[in-house]
Amino acid sequence: MALRTEEFQVNMGPHHPATHGVCRMVLTMDGEKVIKIEPVIGYLHRAIEKICENRTYPQCLPLMDRFEYVTSMATNQVFSMAAEKLAEIEVPERAEYLRVIMVELNRIASHLIFYGVTAMDLGAYTPFLYGLRERELILDLFEETCGQRLTYNYIRIGGVSKDILPGFDKKAHAALDTIEQKLEDYEGLLNENPIWLVRTKGVGVLPAEVAIQYGVSGPSLRASGVDYDIRRDDPYSVYHKFDWEVPTRQNGDTFDRYIQRLDEIRVSIKILRQAIDGLPEGDIKAKVKPKFKPKEGEVYNRIESARGEMGCHLVSDGTVKPVRVKLRGSSYNNLQAIPAFATNCMIADLVAIFATMDIILPECDR
Amino acid sequence: MTREELVAYIGSHFEGKLTEMETGKFDPWFEVKAEDLVEVCQKLHDDENLKFDFLCDLAGNDTRERFEVSYKLVSLTLKHRLDLRVALDYEGAEIESVQHIWAGANWHEREVWELYGINIKNHDNLTRFLLHDEWDEGFPMRKDWDGKDFVRLPEI
Repeated sequence: MALRTEEFQVNMGPHHPATHGVCRMVLTMDGEKVIKIEPVIGYLHRAIEKICENRTYPQCLPLMDRFEYVTSMATNQVFSMAAEKLAEIEVPERAEYLRVIMVELNRIASHLIFYGVTAMDLGAYTPFLYGLRERELILDLFEETCGQRLTYNYIRIGGVSKDILPGFDKKAHAALDTIEQKLEDYEGLLNENPIWLVRTKGVGVLPAEVAIQYGVSGPSLRASGVDYDIRRDDPYSVYHKFDWEVPTRQNGDTFDRYIQRLDEIRVSIKILRQAIDGLPEGDIKAKVKPKFKPKEGEVYNRIESARGEMGCHLVSDGTVKPVRVKLRGSSYNNLQAIPAFATNCMIADLVAIFATMDIILPECDR
Repeated sequence: MTREELVAYIGSHFEGKLTEMETGKFDPWFEVKAEDLVEVCQKLHDDENLKFDFLCDLAGNDTRERFEVSYKLVSLTLKHRLDLRVALDYEGAEIESVQHIWAGANWHEREVWELYGINIKNHDNLTRFLLHDEWDEGFPMRKDWDGKDFVRLPEI
């Protein structure tokens, strides 16, 4: 006689260490196998979009930091770029270079956190300490430039808020050299570790068709073999001036999503070295009237953040306040796709899948 | 396809169902009637020369005169982009779901339903998720929704 087991429901979250924020997943379980996943979000809903409608454009910028606080340089950039497009402001070249430098540094910092917490979710504690140790080098650079370590409000409409201090380039190069050298340590810790390989290889395979259907973007999409990067394919800022290529992986499993992000750190380092060396002299901010009024119109602006496509749909009626600000966070779609490919996995693997999709909840809830 | 070629191609292949709007140098923007929406979306997705396989974003908007729902589409293979917009009257605002074309539209449509009160036909899971489960204070993203005196305190 076959043994019959009863299905039961488990709430994973809202306060679960492996959900990186407050996300609840209602799991229907058959033993240790997950047969249905239903993500529940909204615990961090702060109505940022509604608050923005009652503020002037520059006042919206600090809110953007809270929209996605792990790469808040990118969130500043996406909003500023949308406002500049509406107001037809030409950003000085030095400011564009500074933006690229800061956003790429922030991308590395975000991927270092990813590396640490993913390994910690799967039971390895040392990588977490390694990742945060190197992230500190980047945060020190941010702190000396804009005074903040997490919510920067550095990229403003028309340019950036402050110029870098003398000696920044030396410190940045030293930090990049350290990180590049330590990347070998990171890979040495995990890439040939038998426990890590069993937990990640072939687990949670995201096929490219499913990824595209669900709007998965960024490193998670490229790890499934789709060669698409907004920095290259819909160029913005000064990325076209640098020599770099988009890395991709083919399998789309947990291991590939992890290694993809380490590859992207290397690419960012390559871009950063060229940007720091080629930094032109000039203004850091275009002339923007204190009472900033863009023209009537609407625009959807998108950039590549550390997690994927980040977008800002801005509608203006010619007054000082925006009519509509819609923010598109990549985690929103990435989280939505998890039930489509992770159903029928083991509950322990779900933790690995959730971690390598690199979901940040404030970006979903806004 | 360049921007001009894309606009010309769409102009000649959609039997006047798409109206081009003035966007200057931004990405092309087309307006479509609500009843043609699903047919047009399906064609944009399937057409060999367009292949809009990726839905970036779906946003509602309240212009104080009408509702607008905009679809931002990208082709990952052909690398072009366009905006599609549907205008809806306040009374009985309703659109059809496009989640059978782009599965990722599911949550975006739920959000539009929840925050604007625009009904989505043929949606498989219209339930609240951003707001409180027992929310009964109307649709907060509408312009006539007044939040000044609105305070929700936990019941003890």
